[in-house]
Amino acid sequence: MLDYAVKRLGLAVVIVSVAMLLLFSMIYLIPGDPASVALGPRATEAMKAALRERMGLDQPIWVQFWNFYSRAWMGDLGTEVLSERPVLTVVGEQLPYTLALVAGGITWSVALGIPLGCWAAVRRGSWIDRVVGVLSVAVIAVPSFVVAIYALLIFAVALQWLPAIGAGKPGDLGDQLVHLILPSLAVGLGWVGYIARIVRASMLEVLEASHIRTAYAFGLPDRLIIYRYALSIAILPTVTLLGIGVGQMLSSAVFAEIVFSRPGIGKLVYDAILTRNFPVVSGAVLVTTAFFVLLNLLADLIVGALDPRVRSSF
Amino acid sequence: MSQTPQHGLTRRSLLASAGAFGAASTLSPRMAWSQDGKILKIRSYSDIQILDPSFRLSTPEGDIMTAIFAGLANYTNGDEWNWRPVAVETLEQLDDLTIAFKLRDKIGFTDGFGQMTAEDVKFSIERVADPANESPYAGDWDALKEVEVKDTLSGIIHLKNKFVPLWSTTLPTATCCILSKAAVEKEGGKLGTKPVAQSGPYIMTEWTPKQRTILKRNPDWAYEPGGYEEIQIFPIEDPAAAEIGFEAGDLDHTWTAVSSISRLKENPPPGGVMLEKPSLAYVWMGINQDVPPFDNKQIRRAVQHAIDRETVVEAAYFGAASTSTGIIAPGLPGHREAVLYDYDPDKARELLAAEGATDLSVTLDILNQSERLAAAQVIQANLADVGIKCEIKQNDSGTFWTLGAKEGDYWNKLQLIMGRFSMQPDPSWATVWFTPEQIGVWNWERFNSQDFAELHAQGLIESDPVKRDEIYRAMQDLMDESGCYVFLTHEVTGVLHRDTVIPGLKPNGESLLPDFKPA
Repeated sequence: MLDYAVKRLGLAVVIVSVAMLLLFSMIYLIPGDPASVALGPRATEAMKAALRERMGLDQPIWVQFWNFYSRAWMGDLGTEVLSERPVLTVVGEQLPYTLALVAGGITWSVALGIPLGCWAAVRRGSWIDRVVGVLSVAVIAVPSFVVAIYALLIFAVALQWLPAIGAGKPGDLGDQLVHLILPSLAVGLGWVGYIARIVRASMLEVLEASHIRTAYAFGLPDRLIIYRYALSIAILPTVTLLGIGVGQMLSSAVFAEIVFSRPGIGKLVYDAILTRNFPVVSGAVLVTTAFFVLLNLLADLIVGALDPRVRSSF
Repeated sequence: MSQTPQHGLTRRSLLASAGAFGAASTLSPRMAWSQDGKILKIRSYSDIQILDPSFRLSTPEGDIMTAIFAGLANYTNGDEWNWRPVAVETLEQLDDLTIAFKLRDKIGFTDGFGQMTAEDVKFSIERVADPANESPYAGDWDALKEVEVKDTLSGIIHLKNKFVPLWSTTLPTATCCILSKAAVEKEGGKLGTKPVAQSGPYIMTEWTPKQRTILKRNPDWAYEPGGYEEIQIFPIEDPAAAEIGFEAGDLDHTWTAVSSISRLKENPPPGGVMLEKPSLAYVWMGINQDVPPFDNKQIRRAVQHAIDRETVVEAAYFGAASTSTGIIAPGLPGHREAVLYDYDPDKARELLAAEGATDLSVTLDILNQSERLAAAQVIQANLADVGIKCEIKQNDSGTFWTLGAKEGDYWNKLQLIMGRFSMQPDPSWATVWFTPEQIGVWNWERFNSQDFAELHAQGLIESDPVKRDEIYRAMQDLMDESGCYVFLTHEVTGVLHRDTVIPGLKPNGESLLPDFKPA
């Protein structure tokens, strides 16, 4: 297991390094002068030149990349262009909001997707199975921003049950949870469908396995067979899927953060791209990428720990 | 050994709790906004990036700074552009080159920085003006010679030359917020996002980045108190999101999208009041006179005649805005009644035929916003009607605002451009960007008129309102004559507020935070 973990960790480092290279190349190919955008119409040429120098934009691109790369591995993501606050602080302030959003999305998808998939598999071919199948495809097909807008109009504007904007009062967990309900639903609803479908397929396969048939032959209660012996095996692909799902949810978080005017990494990056605030773009995307890679690493390690065949095949 | 408390959470109790929550929610819809005059929740269109008056980046930052740092003056609430004293007891123009001030005697700085003195005024003003400090607002005090301190509370502002916009666009703005000299020096010469030595009717008590800013009444402020005990400011870039936030009860006041004004006027949300405020901003289509085929003045003129400005503005703003006659809005000196070259497609075809211009194909660069795209599509149709094929190129803001810069490589490809500049309440702030020295900076039409530059210089020192009016009219006539401009609109600002709130607004709809009051 240790050998497997070391190999996976090495691969994660390579992925983050390549992502940094791609990221750096892409943001520096975007047209537009960060100094002009940042300082506005009243800035003189001298001011713009000074800012370009402070941002290191007057240096060759390979020097800029090396500076960014070497500092990033030491945990220094530079300073924000205008407020001169450390990028790590700026990103650190926003990251918890996005993590909460993604965690909320996962909660919705797991809490609804697993029971629905399980229910459909156990009642294979019934009307319940067919309804779950149609619903799964429907929620997968609806883009998260559409869910966000309709959720807002129904639950915030028409019924006024839930807030429409913001992330709740800092320090007030209850208020923050209430503010999380709609955005996390928007982010997680599509994944309810994915998880329901994969759990159903996986359950059907496990329910045909000989040890389950044996359990039925011994007359064990259905509930025990389904939840203890079948679901515990059928749920394994869901763990891997959720690792990928986190990446998708991080992307969806951008829309949710804009529609619900929530703070978060997505909104931070969006604003930073518009203002060509390169240090923030680089820092935020790097942190998000590293987070995504680490989560996938964790998912792989969990699956590896649960299933020896995965370890041996790597 | 400790024991974990047993909560007895069962499926039955969970369902019962959920049901009770749902029922309670149905019976009592959320009433998030404050109706007791204590808390006001408003939208700003951007978050704080810096709280230093000399380096502010956006209007919302200026609004906050004028609430937490007492300035010499501020604009008055209402429909007329006037100023009122804030930190001063008197502020008086003694002659063209001297302004005397006397501070109020009960204004103190927070964080133990003591009383506001004339020395702080001198420091704050000269700090903006000093080229070494590289403030983008140094131009506001371009005419400054020095600030003379007479005693603890009094002083004289000496000017090098007459500067008429001083009273309309320098003194009542955040440029004239007075900072504590000791505090700024202690902070290393520049303030960040954490305000120190606050002195206004409000103090900033909380800033949660990208989420909210909280201002509370300054307990040490001895003069006109702010209307609310607490103002919560939410940075919401998207006006549509803010409108939904208002309808959901999360906001008491917001600016709306221009395209929403008609809908909200006809059908305002319950408890909502929709206002329209004239904007000073100006939107135009520019024609780059240095790039073929527009290096031919007759073809530029043909384009001026080809554009149906009424239809363009109607399509873009759904009838909420009207066409403009130049870059200076109604109510300001220099506003004209009409443009010199208006929609006349037959004339446009005639001019193009006379120049032998057939099968012209041009590009129109715009910012990727829905209003601009709608306007550009009508322009595209108008140009097609006279035989000019027009390709619309949408740009994000970061790219758009550098298209005509001389440092780049696109200015000599740029043909048509749709621009929008915001404005201060003085005509010089409209004309300053179109002088020859601005070519390749903000003058992307590369309009090059020495007469225009001379008139601009005259306008800055001419205090006779009639003569000033003539100067700025003549300048816009020169712009029209050049064929480089098709003036479209000044837009309009939509303001939506709760009927329990009396908003504090400048004539153009921008906020005066201390002037918001409960109805």
